[in-house]
Amino acid sequence: MHDLAALEADGIATTFVASSEFVTATDAQARALGFASVPAVYVAHPIQDRTDPEMAALADEALPRVLAAVTGAPPTA
Amino acid sequence: MPPVTTTATAAASTSPEVPADGLVVVVKQDCPTCRLVAPVLGDLGATVYTQDDPAFPPGVAVRDDTDLDASVALGIDVVPTLLRREGGRETARAEGWDRATWRELSGVADLGADLPEWKPGCGSRTHDPAVADAMLVRARGHELAARRVELAGLEDEAEALYDRGWTDGLPVVAPTPPRVLRMLAGTTRAPDEVVAVVPPNLVPATVEKVAINAVLAGCRPEYLPVVLAAVEAACAEEFNAHGLLATTWGAGPAVLVHGPIARRIGVNAGGNALGQGTRANSTIGRAVQLVIRNVGGGRPGEVDRATLGQPGKVGLCFAEDEEHSPWEPLSVERGVPAGASAVTVFASEGPRGVVDQISRTPESLARSLAVALRGVGHPKLAPGFDAVLVLSPEHVAVFDEAGWDRARFTTTLAELLLLPPEELARGADGIEEGMPEPTRPHPKFRREGLMVAVAGGGAGKFSAVLGGWVGGPGGSSPVTRIIEEA
Repeated sequence: MHDLAALEADGIATTFVASSEFVTATDAQARALGFASVPAVYVAHPIQDRTDPEMAALADEALPRVLAAVTGAPPTA
Repeated sequence: MPPVTTTATAAASTSPEVPADGLVVVVKQDCPTCRLVAPVLGDLGATVYTQDDPAFPPGVAVRDDTDLDASVALGIDVVPTLLRREGGRETARAEGWDRATWRELSGVADLGADLPEWKPGCGSRTHDPAVADAMLVRARGHELAARRVELAGLEDEAEALYDRGWTDGLPVVAPTPPRVLRMLAGTTRAPDEVVAVVPPNLVPATVEKVAINAVLAGCRPEYLPVVLAAVEAACAEEFNAHGLLATTWGAGPAVLVHGPIARRIGVNAGGNALGQGTRANSTIGRAVQLVIRNVGGGRPGEVDRATLGQPGKVGLCFAEDEEHSPWEPLSVERGVPAGASAVTVFASEGPRGVVDQISRTPESLARSLAVALRGVGHPKLAPGFDAVLVLSPEHVAVFDEAGWDRARFTTTLAELLLLPPEELARGADGIEEGMPEPTRPHPKFRREGLMVAVAGGGAGKFSAVLGGWVGGPGGSSPVTRIIEEA
C-alpha cells in the first residue's frame, strides 16, 4: 500500500493483487494512509496450495480487473 | 481519580518573587513545631510563607505558597525554616526551632522566651509524595508534546484505555504526565528525538511516544534504554516488521537482551527466563508490541493477519546468561564489543521445549537438538524459517565439558541439518508438503539463520526452540543494536 501511494504520487497508475482474505487489511491500511478508495484486485483465497495451472487460471480471471484498475479512476483521498 | 493524559498540562514553573533582602520563614499548619512557633512569627518582621493553609498562622500577614513555588525556589526541606537573605542571596538558615539560632538570626533578644529551647521541624510539603507529581509536571511538563486525553471522573481507567484501543487485551498502566516524565528520566535522549519510523503506517516514534508505551506496558524507567534500542531494531528495514505483522504466520518480534544492562535492570536469564514473573521480561517486549500497535497502527484483525498468533506476541523478552555461560556471548558473535549492552530483535514463535535427559556425549545431544530444530516450520522445508535455540545450563555443560565451543557446536549442528533431497521432496513420506523436486542436500537454516543463546535454570536437561519466520530478504533478519545508556 505504501508502494502504491508512492507510485501514484509520482503519477504512475498502480494497483495491487491480493487474495480475498486481505480485504480488511487493505481497508485498515487505506484508512491510515488517507485513501477513501483503493484500486485493489482480489482473487479467491487460498493461494499457497495452488498448482501452476490453477494460478494461471486465477491470473487470467483477474487480468481484466487489473487492467481496469490501472486505467480507471485513481485512488481517492 | 486524576485525569489520564498523554500530554503536557502546564507551562514551566515560573520563579516566584521571593524577597531579595530580609528574613523569610516557611511554615505549614500541619506541623506541630510550626504551630509551636506561630506566636513568635509576628515579632520577627519576616516574610512568612505558608505551604498548606493561607490562614496559618492566624494574625500574621502570610504569603500563600500552597503551590510550593516559593518553597522550591528557596530550597526548603524542613518546616519551619528561618532564612536571612541579603542582596538576593541566602546568608543564613535555621531549620526547625532552635531558640538561640532564631534569636541570633532575627536580632530579637527575647524571642520565644516561653518556648522550649529546641524542637525539630517537619518535612517540607515539597517532599510530600502526594504533591511530588504535580511539582514534576509543573517543572518539566512543557517537555511533553503528546496530545492530552482526559477521562471522565466516573470512567474506570483500565476499561477506558481498553475501549480506546490502546491495549493488547491486558490492562495497561495509564500514561499520566508524571508517569511519562518519570519514564523519560530513564534516558538522556531528548523527548522529541525520533527513534524510528514505525510500520505498518510508517509513523515517526519519538522518545516520548516510546516512553508513553513503556508506561502502558508497565516498564520501569531503567528499562527505557532497552525499549528504545529494541524499537529501533524492530523498525530497521531488514527486520521487516510490516511483513512480519501482515503475514498469516504467527511469529512476532522478540527481544534478547545482551550485556551488563540485563543484570542491572533485572532481565531474567535464569529459571523461567522464557516465562512469567519477572517484570523486565514481561514488560519490555510488550512495550515494543504496544509501540507497533499504538504508534504504527499494527492491530490484529487489521494489518496483522496471523492465522493463529501465539502468546509471545503479547511480548517476549529474555536475556542470555552471559555470567554463567561457558561460551562467548551471542552478542559478540553478532559483532557487539565484549562487555557492551545490546538488544537483538528477532521474529519468534512461542518456545517449544526439547527433552534430552540421557545424552552425556556432545555428539548425541547435538543430534537430539538437530532433530528438534528440523521441525521448525515443517521438517520437509529447508531452508526457510530462521530459529533461535535456547540452550539450558545442563545442556551447554555437556558440550563445554567435552571441549566444544560455540563455533564447534554451531558447525556440527549445520552439518547435522544438511537435509537429504529424498526426504524433502513433495510426496516423500506420504506428505504432499515439501520442496519441489530437490536435487541436492539443503541446509535447514540459511547462513546466520540459527542463533544460539544460553539461558535457563540450573536444573533440567531441557532446551527450547523458538521458531521464527522466513529468514532474510523477503522475510525478516534479526537485528542487533547497541543500547545507549546514560
